[in-house]
Parts: sequence; C-alpha cells; structure tokens
Amino acid sequence: MNILVCVKQVVLPGMSAQSGSRINRYDEYALEEALQVKERIPGTAVHAVSAGPQRVEAVLRRAMEMGADTGIHLHVDSGEELTPYQAASLIASHVRANRYDMIFAGVMAEDDLQMQTGPMIAALLDYPYASAVIAQEIRPDNTVSVERECDAHRRQCVELDLPCVLTVQSGINRPRYPSLSNVLRAKHQDIIRPEALGREVPRARETTIRTFAPELHPRGMFLEGTQREKAVRLLGLLHEKNFL
Amino acid sequence: MNDGIVVIAQHGENRADPLTYESLACAWSLCGGDAERIRVIVPGDRSRTVAREIAAASGFAVTSVESDVLTTYNADAYLRVLGPLLERTAPGYVILPHTCIGYDLAPALAVKLGAACITGVEAAVSGNERTGFVRTVSAGKLSAEVVPETATAVLTIQPGAWQPLDIKPGSAGAVDTVRIEAGTGRSRTTGFKQAEYQGSALADSTVIVAAGRGIGTQGNLALIHDVARLFPRSAIGCSRAVCDAGWLGYAHQVGMTGATVAPKLYFAIGISGAVQHVAGIRDAQMVIAINNDPSARIFARADVGIVEDLTRFIPVLMEEYDRQQGTTTGTEEIREPRAQENSPPPGPVKR
Repeated sequence: MNILVCVKQVVLPGMSAQSGSRINRYDEYALEEALQVKERIPGTAVHAVSAGPQRVEAVLRRAMEMGADTGIHLHVDSGEELTPYQAASLIASHVRANRYDMIFAGVMAEDDLQMQTGPMIAALLDYPYASAVIAQEIRPDNTVSVERECDAHRRQCVELDLPCVLTVQSGINRPRYPSLSNVLRAKHQDIIRPEALGREVPRARETTIRTFAPELHPRGMFLEGTQREKAVRLLGLLHEKNFL
Repeated sequence: MNDGIVVIAQHGENRADPLTYESLACAWSLCGGDAERIRVIVPGDRSRTVAREIAAASGFAVTSVESDVLTTYNADAYLRVLGPLLERTAPGYVILPHTCIGYDLAPALAVKLGAACITGVEAAVSGNERTGFVRTVSAGKLSAEVVPETATAVLTIQPGAWQPLDIKPGSAGAVDTVRIEAGTGRSRTTGFKQAEYQGSALADSTVIVAAGRGIGTQGNLALIHDVARLFPRSAIGCSRAVCDAGWLGYAHQVGMTGATVAPKLYFAIGISGAVQHVAGIRDAQMVIAINNDPSARIFARADVGIVEDLTRFIPVLMEEYDRQQGTTTGTEEIREPRAQENSPPPGPVKR
C-alpha cells in the first residue's frame, strides 16, 4: 500500500505563524491511522504532504518524527492562506503524477473548520471518498470498509473501492508521540520538494472580505459580586427553580 | 451569481428532516421575495411523498429526483445523479444542512459544478453589492464574512442558524418527478449502525453538568462531579475536545456529533460554546455557564453566566452549599452523595 496523508499547518488563535503554529490535530489522527495500516500490511509506505510556503515544512518534519516515511512539500507562496479548493488542487495534481492507494486527511482543520479539502481532492481525482471516518478496515479484495460518524452517535457504514480518500474524525485512534529513532531519522532526512514546474494555484472561488470578533449577545444575566456572593446567588436561583 | 436557488432536502422515513425547513428558510431569505427562484430537490428511490409534503408546506416548486442508487445517502451516488442535473440547472446557490450528509457532499459537488463552497454558514449578510456568508474561523474565536467569486456557490448551513421556514403559502408548489438511471458506483452504503454507548443517562437526566476543555486538567473533573452530586437526577456531559483528550468516554459527548439533549438544566463548565456543541443543547430549558473568559460564546446561549475560574469558584460553591445545608438541618453531618449515576464510568467507553 502506498498511502498519502495530507497535513496542514495551523496557526493558533492570536499567535504568529512563526511561533504559534503546529500540525492540525485532526491530521494527526489521519497520520496515526495510516501508520497503523503500515503496521498491519507489510510493504506499506506512508507519505506526508503539505502545500504552502516554506514554514509548512515544520509540520512535515513533525509527521516524519511520528513515523511518516517521507515528507513532501508542494511549495507555493502567494502570501495568502490557501483555500481548501486551492490546497486540494495542488495535492490532486501531485497524486496524478504519482500512485497512491489511499489518501488520508483530517476531517477538518482545527482553525477554519471547513471540512472541504479531503472530499475536494477526491472529486478532482474522481475517487470515491468518505468523510468523518471513525473506523476503517482494508479488505483483501481492494476495498475498504468504513464507518462514518453521523449525528447522535449513529454511524454510516460504507464500502469503497481503492484508490479512495478518507477524512478522519478525531477519536478514531490515539495519535502516537514521536519515537527517538524517528526523531533522529527526521532530523537528517531531506524533505522531498517536487518540481514546481507548472504548479499553478487556481483562482480562489470564494474570498473572505472581513473577519471580526463575533458580537456576543448574552441572552441571560451575569451574576455579579465576589465569588461567595455569586455562589450564594447561584444556590438561591437553583432553589427557586426547584433544582435543589 | 446565477439566479436560481436549489435546496437539497434531507429526509428519512418518508418525512422531511426538520433541518430541511431551516434550509428552506435560508433560501427564502436569499430569494428577495421571489419564491419562483427556489427549487427543492428531494433525492431518493421513492421520494414523492416527501416532495409533496415540502411543496404543501412551502409553496415552492419541488422535484423528486428518483434513482435506485438513492435508497440511502451515498456520496458517490448522490454526485453521479445530482452533479449532471445541477450542472444543467446552473443555480446561483445550492443549499444543504451542515450535517454528515451536507458536509460530506457539498465540497465534492462544488468541485463538480466549478462552484464556491462555503460550509457551516451561520448568517447571510445582504444589502451590500454581494451577499456575504458568515462562518466561524480561528478555532471559534472569530467570525469571517465570505463571498463567492463564482456563478454558483454551494452552502452548508449550521443547524439552528435559521429558524425553520414558517410561511402560509397560498397554494402548494408544483411537484414533478425525474427518474435517473445510474449504474453501480465505487462506493456503497451498506447500512447504519448505532455506536456502542449507553446514551440513556444523558437522555433521561433532568440536569446535565458538562465539562469543556476549559476545565484544564482531567483531575478537575472531580469538581464537575461535585456539582453533579448537588442534583438528584443528573448526568455528566462534555464537549468533544474532552472526549478527544481521553478525559471522558464518547458516551458523554454532547453536540453535533454526539448526543442532542433536552434537560431542564444544562450546566456548561469550561465550555467555550462552539457552534457544534451548542447545536446539541438547543432544547435545554435553562443553561448556566461558568467560564473565566467573559467573551466565551457559551454566554450567548446561557441564561445565567458566571465569569469565574472554576477551580476557585466550585469549591466556594460547595462550601456554601454545605454551610446552607448545615443551617437548615442544624447538624454538622457529612452530606452523602445524592445520586449514584454520577460516578465516573468504568474506564474509557469503547466506540
């Protein structure tokens, strides 16, 4: 099996890209899932890919420390954050030039919560896909059987032909910590930078025209006073409403 | 932007899902009073009953799009049937609810249609040159207004963002049926199953005391249990982040991907109030929130807000409770826990 795992560098709220960025937590679950496939199926290779400016190499390095065999950097630097469609287009053209049996991605990025990149990669490649995967099992007949997380603890069971794209929901596994041997390997291993020739970032199909702190309309009341006064008021309220 | 507005209905057991009426309300808010711009699509193997229901309730034109491959939701089948149909229709907007169907289908459908894709929409901003759509970004700290740059935009709307459509149409909308043959695809939905979990505690409790990542450490769950023990019939809930951290089993998760609950009282402690979580407590009768961040979104949903550090406040609350119990009973007896069901579950719950 040749597996590609898409990883995104997310910037924590209120932090700079230099100091406050890390690998998207959901992508860690995706990577862990791929690494578990590698442990089960001999001859499996796990490749981590990320698109963006130079700084995204930090998350590729992290993915290699966790156990990815290679880190692949699709270098583009437009000065703007890639939209999911743009990232998906770059990754899809990389996939076209190579051969992967499965593509894993996190169900969403924890910063922008869009849930789009994985299904978009699949649509661009015309691969079957499943999002919010909470269990998966590769079958000997080149299919994968997955459970998708739906609402209210209900799961949809889907069977997909390979190659396919799966976006992974948190909780599917416990992402591992980097092992010392992988940390040492990642330190010396080069990140693969495929030729940028012909790599075009397509035009964004939507634009963020402003961001703002959401107006908070508290619909109720805030308890005021010292901690003890608030505690007394809260207990009074709970008595009044017959909860106590 | 193109002119038409297509709503893809979500339905089950021969009835429209209530969320479909929220999608219809969104469409209604975008159509500028011209209901003729709206068309509802009901995908299914036999979806005429649902189509008629929606046409009667809304007055909008409804197409029942039927195919043997649409017995149940499957992304591949939906794309193969709806993709070409929508390509021909070329609407300005395609609206789906932000559910495990909507967010699964929308991005791929957008690619097929060469459309913009805006997911988790919470509001539309019209009145400017272009209509913008508001969604949450920066891990819940900020909102962004996004505008499509294309003739078509696929939107998924956050459950609860629009009130279900409530209009009295003069007459039922027209219903037509399109039957589409589609061969076998490369993905098959084999069924649905219930995740292994004991959901009854959350469903049956009068009071739910819920913890968010803001409680800081797993050890602080003891404080949550302290609060829960104040009430005779209570259960422990939590946000997804708490489950992901392994602090509580997924059986306790409240929110869009967890349980939808309707207790008389919901205590949100250290919960930021992400839309996904709040979607699960829409029907709670009263919400009390404790959070040290006065700008936490949960306060927008809370009936009573307490801006305090929970590690300091809850001990004071318990002390005050014990003191009051002492005065009313006149004894210094140690209070016994009043509920058994509050004890932590035996180990993590297997999903």
